Amino acid sequence: MMTNTARPPGPSSNAELIYWICQLSGWGAYTLMEILGAVTVDHITWANAIVTFVLLNATGMGLTHWLRSFMRRHCWNTLGIRMLARRCLAASFALATPPALATSFTSIAALHYPASDLENLPAPFGLDLALLITILLNLVNWALIFGIWLAIYFTTVGLRQRKDAALRQSELARALQQAELRLLKTQLNPHFLFNALNTVRSLIAEDPPRAQRAVTRLANTLRYTLGAGQNDLVSLSRELEIVADYLEIEKMRFEARLTIESEVAADAGNAQIPVMLLQTVVENAIKHGIAELPAGGVLRICAVLESGVLVLTVENPRPPASSPPTREGTGLRNAEERMRLLFDARASLELDLSQPALATTRIRIPQTP
Amino acid sequence: MKALIVDDEPPARRELRRLLADFPWIEIVGEGGHIAEAAPQIEALTPALLFLDIQMPGGSGFDLLTRLEHVPQVIFTTAHDEHAVRAFEVNALDYLLKPIDPARLAAALARVRNENAALTSAPQPDAPLHQLFLRDGSQCWFVPLSEVRLLTSEGNYVRLSWGKRHPLLGRPLASIERRLDPKRFFRANRQQVINLECIESVEMGVNGRLHVQLREGPEVEISRRQARLFKSQLSI
Repeated sequence: MMTNTARPPGPSSNAELIYWICQLSGWGAYTLMEILGAVTVDHITWANAIVTFVLLNATGMGLTHWLRSFMRRHCWNTLGIRMLARRCLAASFALATPPALATSFTSIAALHYPASDLENLPAPFGLDLALLITILLNLVNWALIFGIWLAIYFTTVGLRQRKDAALRQSELARALQQAELRLLKTQLNPHFLFNALNTVRSLIAEDPPRAQRAVTRLANTLRYTLGAGQNDLVSLSRELEIVADYLEIEKMRFEARLTIESEVAADAGNAQIPVMLLQTVVENAIKHGIAELPAGGVLRICAVLESGVLVLTVENPRPPASSPPTREGTGLRNAEERMRLLFDARASLELDLSQPALATTRIRIPQTP
Repeated sequence: MKALIVDDEPPARRELRRLLADFPWIEIVGEGGHIAEAAPQIEALTPALLFLDIQMPGGSGFDLLTRLEHVPQVIFTTAHDEHAVRAFEVNALDYLLKPIDPARLAAALARVRNENAALTSAPQPDAPLHQLFLRDGSQCWFVPLSEVRLLTSEGNYVRLSWGKRHPLLGRPLASIERRLDPKRFFRANRQQVINLECIESVEMGVNGRLHVQLREGPEVEISRRQARLFKSQLSI
C-alpha cells in the first residue's frame, strides 16, 4: 500500500526496533519462566532445561517472525475484525503444530504429563492414546501462546495505524490549506500588483488625476478577485468591466507596447461565464505574450453568440520559439479545470499555438436556457 | 558616477530617474527597455553602476549580465523576484523592491559609494577586467578576478578555480585573456592562465619546465617556453 511505502524512514525504523524489543523480551521472559518451572517443579537439570526451552522458544519466535512477514505480504492489517479473528485462530493452530509435535517427543513431554497419569489408559485400535493426548495438550498450549502473541501484535499495529491516520489527516489538511493559499497568490498576481503600485507611484508625480484613476481601477480589480468564488457565474459584461479596469492599468505600465482591440456582439453581454475566467485568460496573454515582447503588440478580445453557445476568443502575439504548448501556466490550467467542473464536456478552453507568432485562446460556453 | 537604467516599463524608468535626482553624484547616461537595447549602450557608455530589472522581454537581467564583457556594479530592481536575487551565493549586490523605498535606495547607493571608493574614475573600455558574472545552473556569482587562482581552457569555455568552486564561463579563454591584468595573470601553458598572487611555491622540473603550486589549488606546469618569461617577470 502506498501509505506504507510513503512513511518516512524515522518512525518506520523506530517501529522495527520496538518490534524486536517486544519479541525478544516477551519470548525471553517466557523462556526464563519455563526453565525455572522445569528446574524447580519437575527437577530437570539446568543444562537440559536451558537447551530444550531455548531451542523450542527460539523456534516459536522464528515462526512468529515469519508469520508477521506473511501477514504483511497479505495485508492482514486491512481485514475486518471477524475475518482477522478467524484467520488468527487458524494461524495459531497451524503454527502450533510443529512445536507441539517437537515438544511431545522431547523428554519434557513426559515430565509435563507424568506417565503415571496416563499409563493406565486403554489403547484402542492399537493407538497410543497417551501420546495423542500429549500432542493435543501441547497443541492447545502452543496455539494459546501464538494466540496471545497475535493479540498483542494486532493491538499494537491497530494503535499505531490510528495514530498514523490522525497524522495523515492533519498533513492532508495542511497540504490543502497550502494549495488554497497558493491559488489565492496566483489569483492576486503579485507581479502585476507590485508593478502596478510602482506605476501609480510614478503617476502621482507626473499626472495626479491619472494616478487617482489607476488607484480606483486597481481597487476594482482587487475587490473583484477577492470576492470571486470558485463556482460563481457572472455576466460577460460584468467580467468585461473588470478586464477593462485591469487592462487600463496594464496600458499605463506598458504604454505604447500594449494595444487593445475588443469586439463584443450586442447579444453576448448577458451570457453567463465562470467568474475570473476571461480575466485569467487576458492576464495570461499579457504575461506570456505582450510582456515577453520588446515591441509589445495587439491584444484582441472577441465575443459572439453562435446558436446558443458563447464563443470567446483572446488573441495575442507571442515570442517565437518559446512557450511550448505544455507550459500554459497555472492560471489557465485552473480555468480549464473549473470549466470542466461547471459544464462537463459541453464547454471547452483551448490554447492554439499553431501560428508561429500568435497565441489564440478559444473558449466555448453553452448558454442553456 | 555614471549609471544606466534597464527596465521594460517606461513609468518605472521615469520613477527611478526621479528618485535618483536626489543623488547628484549619480549621472544617468542612458536607459534601455530590454537587454538587446541595453547591452550595446553599456559597452559604449561604460557606466559604473547598473539599475537592472529581472523580468524583461527577450531575456532576463541575468541574461544581460552574462553577455557583458565589463560587468559594472549592479543594483537589481524588481517587483516580485527578490527570491531570484537572493539566490546569489557570494558577494551578492543589492536589490530594491518596486515601488522603491527612497530610504532603501539611499542605503544601497551608500554601499555602492563605499565599495567604489577605490575606483573613483569610471572604468576605461580597455582597462583590465575587474569582475566576471557567471551563471552555473541556477546559481549566479559576481566573481572578482583578484580571487581567481586559475583559468583553464576547456574548448570554447573557461573553467575558473575560485575558492572551492569551479564555475564555467561561457566564452573562450582567448576572448578574455587580453583583458586580464598582465601584472596579475600569467599564461602558464597552452591551456592555463595562473594568478601570480596565488602562487605558494615554485619548483624546477625537468627540461627547463617549472612546477607551480597554487594556494588551495592544483599544481600547474609552466611550459619551457613560458618558464623563461616567468623568471624574468618575477626576476628570479
